[in-house]
Amino acid sequence: MKMNNSIFGGVTLIALFLLILMPVLLPSITLATEILIFALAALACNLLLGYTGLLSFGQGIFFGGGAYTASLVMIHFDFGLLGALFAAIVAGSILAFIVGALAIRRTGIYFVMLTLAFSQMAYFLAYTFSDWTGGDNGLLDVPRPSLSFFGFVISDLESSESFYMFVAIVFALVFLLARRVIRSPFGTTLVAIRENEGRASAVGFSTNYFKLVAFVISGAITGLAGALYAMLLNFAPLSNIELLMSENILIMTIIGGTSSLLGSLLGAGAIVLIGDLLSSIWPRWMMILGAALIAVVLFMPGGLWGGLESLYSKFSNRVKTKQSSSSEDK
Amino acid sequence: MIRKYLKQSAFALSIFSLASVAIADSDPVTIYGVKSLSGSFASYGKYADMGSKLAVEEYGEILGQKPVYKVIDTEGNAGKAIRKVQEAINQDGAKYFNGSTLSSTALAIGKEVNKSGGVFITPAGADELTGVSCNSSTFRWSVPTFGAIHETVKPLFTEHPDKKRWYTITPQYVFGEALLSNAKTVFDELGIEHVGNSYHSLQEQEFSGYLTNAMAAKPDVLLLLNFGSQSSNALRQAINFGLKNQMTILVSWSSGLEQFQELGTDITENVYFGAQYWHTVDTPINNELVTKVKNAYGITPNYPLAADYISTKLLLDAISEAASTDSAKVISNLEGRTYEGPTGTESIRAADHQVLKNYYLLKGKSAASMKDADDFAEIVSSGKSFPEESSLACKAI
Amino acid sequence: MNLYLFQALNGIGLGMIYFLISVGLTIIFGLLNFVNFAHGAFYLLGAYLSFSIVSLTGNYWLALVLAPISIALIALLCEKTLIKRVYHLPHTYQILVTLGVALIIQELCISIWGPIGKNISPPDSLKGVIQIGEFFYPQYRLFVIFFAAVVAIGVWILLDKTKFGALVRAGSEDAETLSLLGTHTHRLFSITFALGVGLAGLAGVLAAPIKGIHPFVGPEILGIAFVVVVIGGMGSFTGALVGGLLVGLVQSLMTTFWPQGASLMIYGAMAFVILLRPYGLFGRA
Repeated sequence: MKMNNSIFGGVTLIALFLLILMPVLLPSITLATEILIFALAALACNLLLGYTGLLSFGQGIFFGGGAYTASLVMIHFDFGLLGALFAAIVAGSILAFIVGALAIRRTGIYFVMLTLAFSQMAYFLAYTFSDWTGGDNGLLDVPRPSLSFFGFVISDLESSESFYMFVAIVFALVFLLARRVIRSPFGTTLVAIRENEGRASAVGFSTNYFKLVAFVISGAITGLAGALYAMLLNFAPLSNIELLMSENILIMTIIGGTSSLLGSLLGAGAIVLIGDLLSSIWPRWMMILGAALIAVVLFMPGGLWGGLESLYSKFSNRVKTKQSSSSEDK
Repeated sequence: MIRKYLKQSAFALSIFSLASVAIADSDPVTIYGVKSLSGSFASYGKYADMGSKLAVEEYGEILGQKPVYKVIDTEGNAGKAIRKVQEAINQDGAKYFNGSTLSSTALAIGKEVNKSGGVFITPAGADELTGVSCNSSTFRWSVPTFGAIHETVKPLFTEHPDKKRWYTITPQYVFGEALLSNAKTVFDELGIEHVGNSYHSLQEQEFSGYLTNAMAAKPDVLLLLNFGSQSSNALRQAINFGLKNQMTILVSWSSGLEQFQELGTDITENVYFGAQYWHTVDTPINNELVTKVKNAYGITPNYPLAADYISTKLLLDAISEAASTDSAKVISNLEGRTYEGPTGTESIRAADHQVLKNYYLLKGKSAASMKDADDFAEIVSSGKSFPEESSLACKAI
Repeated sequence: MNLYLFQALNGIGLGMIYFLISVGLTIIFGLLNFVNFAHGAFYLLGAYLSFSIVSLTGNYWLALVLAPISIALIALLCEKTLIKRVYHLPHTYQILVTLGVALIIQELCISIWGPIGKNISPPDSLKGVIQIGEFFYPQYRLFVIFFAAVVAIGVWILLDKTKFGALVRAGSEDAETLSLLGTHTHRLFSITFALGVGLAGLAGVLAAPIKGIHPFVGPEILGIAFVVVVIGGMGSFTGALVGGLLVGLVQSLMTTFWPQGASLMIYGAMAFVILLRPYGLFGRA
């Protein structure tokens, strides 16, 4: 797609546009908030999968870890909103550092399996330490503190509308930051590793170091998403850290498409909406989800974003051929 | 559904104003059923949904209009359930909820509904619902673990006073611990020797190891304190290991008819089960319910169906008698209410919003002695056991 | 008899079931370099089919023969129409497609057999127990150990002593050589896929009288299979056998030592093995 390639242009503009449009088009604003939160998690997964080539089945560890950490520091230590989010980011990074440091030493399918094993272990740990996590009951009474700087309350975030706006701003900031990262030399190196790890390391890059940093960034963002989810629900259920959560985040990422960060927003939106819409019509709706997964692989391997891209280029080619009679650009 | 999306996106245009939607008095009374229709608890949600639907459909007019039933699919996921309940409250002004099998989901929904001052009746298993996490909005139809142990261990022991050595298998989380600690108290009271306990995790489906531990302890009675597919698998494997010939087996918290249907008489024969509800209970309301369910769905009512039927009916009755959709009035109508339910005369304790009703001890019949395809068990005993009002953990009501 | 010895016997019984669950997954991965996330779902389908056959005919032995064959045929169909299109794609897409297949099978099973679980009784001739010291062991579980051992020997002969096996092994080493030899790799792939999935179906039939049939058991089975295969080494037959037995023994003994941690230990053991031996106990790079 030929678009403005600066960080603030092109895709970012579309993302901002969607952020404004979503609450208008969707049936509920809490639904829109949920989509944005999962889009954050998918975006973090995309950084690993799309830009580094790491298929992680462990994103739920960081999501659940972030949710628990934010909830616990708010409940027990009276952390404010930003403090709790920061704590979740730190927790996500640390967990990702631990999992990453062990897992990236393996490649290919063994890496996938290792992240899967860590994911199961994290679940059992959360389940075992029920004094902290609430175990199967989950952590109840998670507060949603107000947004304030130095004592000035900007918004109490009590209404679902104001919380959406807050999450949207967080999403936009993370989106810009992630764009900045993938456009930096660091990001280019990641892509080089994805394309050809052997060559990248031959050129002198410590590939494991780069992968680990990518893992930590991804964990930080996922932890943040988990914290926002806990604040949205006032509740941190054990299902946050289940393998199914990791699987869902992964599905959103792949369905959305891994060639652009915006794909993650599309993927999260599609999966959450499919669930919401179909489950109210037909209890066996997951059959359709299954068929959709297969269809995407067979007919739209670039995911939704890839599909849109090819539609766009077809369309613009047609426009161009019309124009090319008068003008001559390539 | 599509219409809902269109309608609500039109509505959403006016969003960002912080005003919540006011419900006009002329809107019909709407009951929201929170059911796990898809996802891993589908076996429960399907029947629970039937129960609520039946209760609403057969109800006449209430405040001048037919009541409406709306179902919320939890997708077997606590997070999704809470978000959808929030939506119903924020957008449709929903006030009256029932259902939710999963304890975690029920606890969180109770909090959510309470924040908006609505009413929620649930059949979930967590004692916290009417214990430490109780609140003015949450009511619970199912008997707590206290009653489940008292009404099973005691009558079984009365029948077999020579069986003094008991072994327990317990899932290690709040619910299992609650059953276990109640069991220990009752053991002490009756002079039963607790010869051992095996804990297992909440995802365990392989019980041969735990059963071996139990065999080694040579108990007279094996008490299974898990529930759902775990108790089914534990029981199935216990029968495989021939334990039925060596000891009496009691499943203190069964899920009722569906569990019998799943296991079959080979396994259930002569095994004791504790149950919240059984379709052969001879009470006017239950006899009616059995007939109605046969006519409407062609099946025998099971526990989720009966529980969600009666809790939906309770909500409607209370609204009707309070002659108002003001939830404060409905709550005070429910508090202390005594009514005829499927298990006989039931009442709602005002102090903790716990429904006081019978709990049953069943004994599995042999295939030959069954009168019809669902006549899996005879009722050995029934009774009401609840913690004293002075000892309640509930402080918030 | 000592409690721990008996738990060890128990663990072997469990391990043989785990071997059956995993061996198909590992064979498919070895030859096709394909990750089948629908493996647990085919196990489920095998169990349900056997339930239907038993309720129709009352004959468990018939189910034991017919259900796995039906599963293999379904797998063949699935391979011809869908799976072969994704062999060349990255693992990501293979996982996505097979997850999709798994979801469809799971929901189909609920639609056909209902959301409530099902039970199959062991055949009458195997309903009893055998006394070992002061313990009792189900005859049916002994039969499963025996039967799984026969299957293991059969699969081993097939892989090690036949032309088919030689091709499979050659293909596992290097798929290109195989096509240079002029072998119909596609046919070989189809048959191997059907065989591997058929073994999952067989595991479902054998385990049904022990574990019952519940529509949401697929992911749990898949999890066990992954652990076994990763510990043993992806693609290794011996690995599946040793891995299965190891996991069975760990789980069974842990239930006596530290029951709460039984599940945690399995995944811990898996992480430990991969970190020490990157390609599992018997895997190759």
